[in-house]
Amino acid sequence: MYETLNYEENGDIARVTLGRDRINMAMVRELSAVCDHLEDSSEAKVVVLQGTGGRFSLGIDFAEFRPDQPMDIHGFNKWEKICARVERLPKAIIAIIDGECHGGGAQLMLVADAAIATKRASIQFNEVHLGFLPGMATFRLAKTIGLGHAKRLIMQCPKVTADEALSLGLVSAVSDDTEAALSRTIDAFGPIHNVAVTLARRLLNESFSTDFENAIGNFLAAQHRAIHQTPFLETIRKHQDE
Amino acid sequence: MNTPHARILAVGTANPPNRYSQQDILELFRVANPMVQSMFKASHIEGRHLVLPEPDENGVPHEDQESLLRKHRKWSLKLGEQAIEKALSETGLTTSDIDYLCCITSTGMMLPGLTAMFIKHLGFRVDCHRADLVGMGCNAGLNGLNPTANWCVANPGKNALMVCCEVNSALYIYDDTMGTGVVNSLFGDGCAAVLLRAEDPDDALVPRVVDFYSHIIPDAWGAMRYNWAPEHGKFSFYLDRDVPYVLGIHTETPVDGLLSRNGLKRRDIKHWIIHSGGKKVIDAIKYNIGITEHDVRHTVNVLRQYGNLGSGSFLFSYQRLMREGKVKPGDRGVMMTMGPGSTIETALLNW
Repeated sequence: MYETLNYEENGDIARVTLGRDRINMAMVRELSAVCDHLEDSSEAKVVVLQGTGGRFSLGIDFAEFRPDQPMDIHGFNKWEKICARVERLPKAIIAIIDGECHGGGAQLMLVADAAIATKRASIQFNEVHLGFLPGMATFRLAKTIGLGHAKRLIMQCPKVTADEALSLGLVSAVSDDTEAALSRTIDAFGPIHNVAVTLARRLLNESFSTDFENAIGNFLAAQHRAIHQTPFLETIRKHQDE
Repeated sequence: MNTPHARILAVGTANPPNRYSQQDILELFRVANPMVQSMFKASHIEGRHLVLPEPDENGVPHEDQESLLRKHRKWSLKLGEQAIEKALSETGLTTSDIDYLCCITSTGMMLPGLTAMFIKHLGFRVDCHRADLVGMGCNAGLNGLNPTANWCVANPGKNALMVCCEVNSALYIYDDTMGTGVVNSLFGDGCAAVLLRAEDPDDALVPRVVDFYSHIIPDAWGAMRYNWAPEHGKFSFYLDRDVPYVLGIHTETPVDGLLSRNGLKRRDIKHWIIHSGGKKVIDAIKYNIGITEHDVRHTVNVLRQYGNLGSGSFLFSYQRLMREGKVKPGDRGVMMTMGPGSTIETALLNW
């Protein structure tokens, strides 16, 4: 069905396996089709993003750029749109990082709600060394790990080991038994209420760029939506039964 | 043969010349209640165009119901004339080319209505078909666009003009209560005229009005309403504090109803043209249908610059969207207005 990735869905878990080392426009289009499915007709509560063959992703595929052709910014825009769509999916998003996770791969990892790394994982925002920019990781990374660390990772482009990524808070677990770690992570998410998860994530993502006065209006709007959904109504019903 | 859809050919807007910041109004009317003061300051409105009287030495305005009705009539004609002139000048038409005139207002009662007054004063033909929509509130622009667009489809090639004319400063009471404070900090005066015609598409970036979907919430019947205030001898507008949330939580139903019946998903909608009802209701819509701050940029900016302009607000946002120059052929948009009923009205546009 897909050429650049593999998609499988088993009960609560949808798994997206990147099927090539580098991200090309075909992969962006197929990720978009996967998002269509996840938004429209998937009952999954968790989306797992992973690589294949001991590698998450090496980043953007430069083979699609031609030095004799005018540079095109719109492909980058399409990439940002797909990252933002993944980031807004009404599911919990978990990335499994085995081996190299560089450039665009690291950008994609950053939109996940949690990441699990194997011991041999190596995370690198290498774009600035290559003369361009790591997409909207420039916007997201400082929120995730703080401005000081983000400057070092994006401007000096070090390869970050699994253990360092764990201490930075870039990943939430390091394990070579990724399936066991995935189970633990999913358990930690607990009962995944899609609306609450999506609204909480949105408010958190907006937190650094919204002033308090606007943020509290946003929060009340989101909270009003949450407390009218089935999970919260069941919570108070249970509480009354006790 | 396919009947052509109605298309939005031009929009013109007008506001009275005097613009007041929220601070100006607090000072002019010597508003002392600190709760009301903070309500004005937290409204996310920078200024509003209003027709305000000179208050007495204590900051109290004295306008009885008769002078409010006179104000409504006078300024409806002034603003209507300007908005109509701006809409028509874009297309090279004059009022004598208009075959159907629909006028909307909720801020003053008159008989004969606005259509008759505009025909008398503004050069419309005496055989112009007309309809007046009175007292439907902020949502009424789409309640009017629906029959106007349908009239166009039934009369291809003929010109229809819809005029939303709200002189909100002709409907208020003045006291020291919070309820009055909320209402008096929110509404502004403004008029929007929109020209429609059913014709086959050409290359111009002119959207077709494809469909409408309504959703009324009878449980919230009294949430927004006019009350007669006998001690003032005037109408006052009542706005329940839960209105933003009640509207917000019901937004999904008409939006998804409109989209699914046209085989669309929310992600297919490039442009959201939403009534600038107030900051809280805009927030509630954002989080209930999952649209972004960028999607509501014009709605928020219209609120900031003008306040809530009632039925014509969404056309001010539409005008900004078109002037922004980012709309592309094939784009789809949803118009959404909310108001008393309580109700949510939606329309689907195809560029």
